[in-house]
Amino acid sequence: MEAQSNADDFIPAGLAAYGIEADEIELAVIRAAHQTFWPPILELLDLDTSEIPAERDPDLSQAPPSR
Amino acid sequence: MSEALDLSLRQQAAAIAAGEVDPGELLEATLERIDGRNPALNAVVETFPERSREMLAAAPQGPLHGVPVVIKDEWPLPWRAQRFGAAEMLARTAPGESGPYRALRDAGAVIVGVGNMHELGASSTGSISVYGPARNPWDPERCPGGSSSGPAAAVAARLVAGAVGADGIGSIRYPAAYCGLTGLKPTFGRSAMEGHHMAGVSSTIVSGPLCLDAGDCRLLGSVLFGEELASGDPGGLRIGVIRGDVAEDVAPPVRDACEAAIEELRRETGGEVREIELPELAAATLATVLIANSESLGGITPEHLNDLDPELSPIGRGLLKYRVLLPAVATIRSQQVRTLARHTLARVFDDVDVIAWPTVPAVAPPLEAPIVELPSGTLTADEANVRGGALANLTGIPAISVPVGSAEGLPIALQLQAAWGRDELLLDAAGAIERANGRRWVEAAPPSARGAEPLEA
Repeated sequence: MEAQSNADDFIPAGLAAYGIEADEIELAVIRAAHQTFWPPILELLDLDTSEIPAERDPDLSQAPPSR
Repeated sequence: MSEALDLSLRQQAAAIAAGEVDPGELLEATLERIDGRNPALNAVVETFPERSREMLAAAPQGPLHGVPVVIKDEWPLPWRAQRFGAAEMLARTAPGESGPYRALRDAGAVIVGVGNMHELGASSTGSISVYGPARNPWDPERCPGGSSSGPAAAVAARLVAGAVGADGIGSIRYPAAYCGLTGLKPTFGRSAMEGHHMAGVSSTIVSGPLCLDAGDCRLLGSVLFGEELASGDPGGLRIGVIRGDVAEDVAPPVRDACEAAIEELRRETGGEVREIELPELAAATLATVLIANSESLGGITPEHLNDLDPELSPIGRGLLKYRVLLPAVATIRSQQVRTLARHTLARVFDDVDVIAWPTVPAVAPPLEAPIVELPSGTLTADEANVRGGALANLTGIPAISVPVGSAEGLPIALQLQAAWGRDELLLDAAGAIERANGRRWVEAAPPSARGAEPLEA
């Protein structure tokens, strides 16, 4: 229910901010996607990653340089 | 000539090189087979016989001289722009020489058709395409897997012996698993990528082979890599296994077949099985999706999103619009998760040579309702499949899907992942699995594919 009410506000406000129009079917798809993605996104944002230096331009063909 | 059509990729190449098969006759027979079998499958969305004949006429004496192949609708050809399975793909495209096209041409291969794919590469199912979905040769009512749906269906139905796909979040391995093929997702940057509309932007997408077995993937992979993928001895293989959803929230027949295959691999290689931990796996899965989605946003404007081609599916339109709502901070956090996962994997690969878990947690679901029943409940196939497919794309490591069993008359597959640059080891290990089970699953084929063994559980 929380995700649903969150979506009720977030989706139309977000689309309106960009000036993006969506019909009812598209809105249903967006709501479904939001219900799937938003809870784990919030978990991701809760992770303490302050100790993790992001690799700059990581060379994904190799292991990270410093282990 | 039908016997030649049913040969493996390397057998076709060897037979042509030995003068036992005429490549012109093979090409015409392949086109005839596509005409005959493809209408029920929709695996190949376009053929161009004159172009194919011209390719053959100009083909050098390379390792694939005269061998017919299919290429996914994700790569431009000199006579055809890719459509990405969509009415509109939000990127500028034009006919041209993509890296995979050049690699195939220079190896002497003959491109006979373009393989169908899931719209915008956006699903593991292959259930939506501007051409209509490709169908799984094992059961036309089932998903072929995506997004490289057509290349997989074409090889499984023995329209061709090899095809080139692309893998941004499992898009070679999922259809390989659903269609009973061997599919290699190369180490990031090792295979030909030039000409892809996301080349230089995407940090997850690679080209790779979908073939009948590991030997054929080695041959086609060598062509795409531009270097020989030498075979080696995987003796003493250290196999890493993991607890958690990716290995345990799996349909029981899939779990049983994969556990049996891991044990067979251990025995065949005289190796050992070690339990490993990947604490970032769940976060890594989400991170992959967020990074891949954000990388595809570069050319999108609100005006563009308000003027999408009406032929684009409602799901495609909705997901494109949702992408712009994803918070940038989550993408930044995803890059940190990527760093963490890469460091964890580097440590894990000090202790094991490969990591093994099911490629997908259930057999191919119905096209009409791509959902799967798992011990935890009902999930969309995409939600379930991404758990096992994303890590390799996020971190850059290579991965391979190998057929290891069947349930409901549909293939089951095991995924192996290895450290960066150890693509050859994955092919060696896949070959060891084939030896261990007497090549039972790589020689099984849909009933419509003559000359192949039926699939029995």
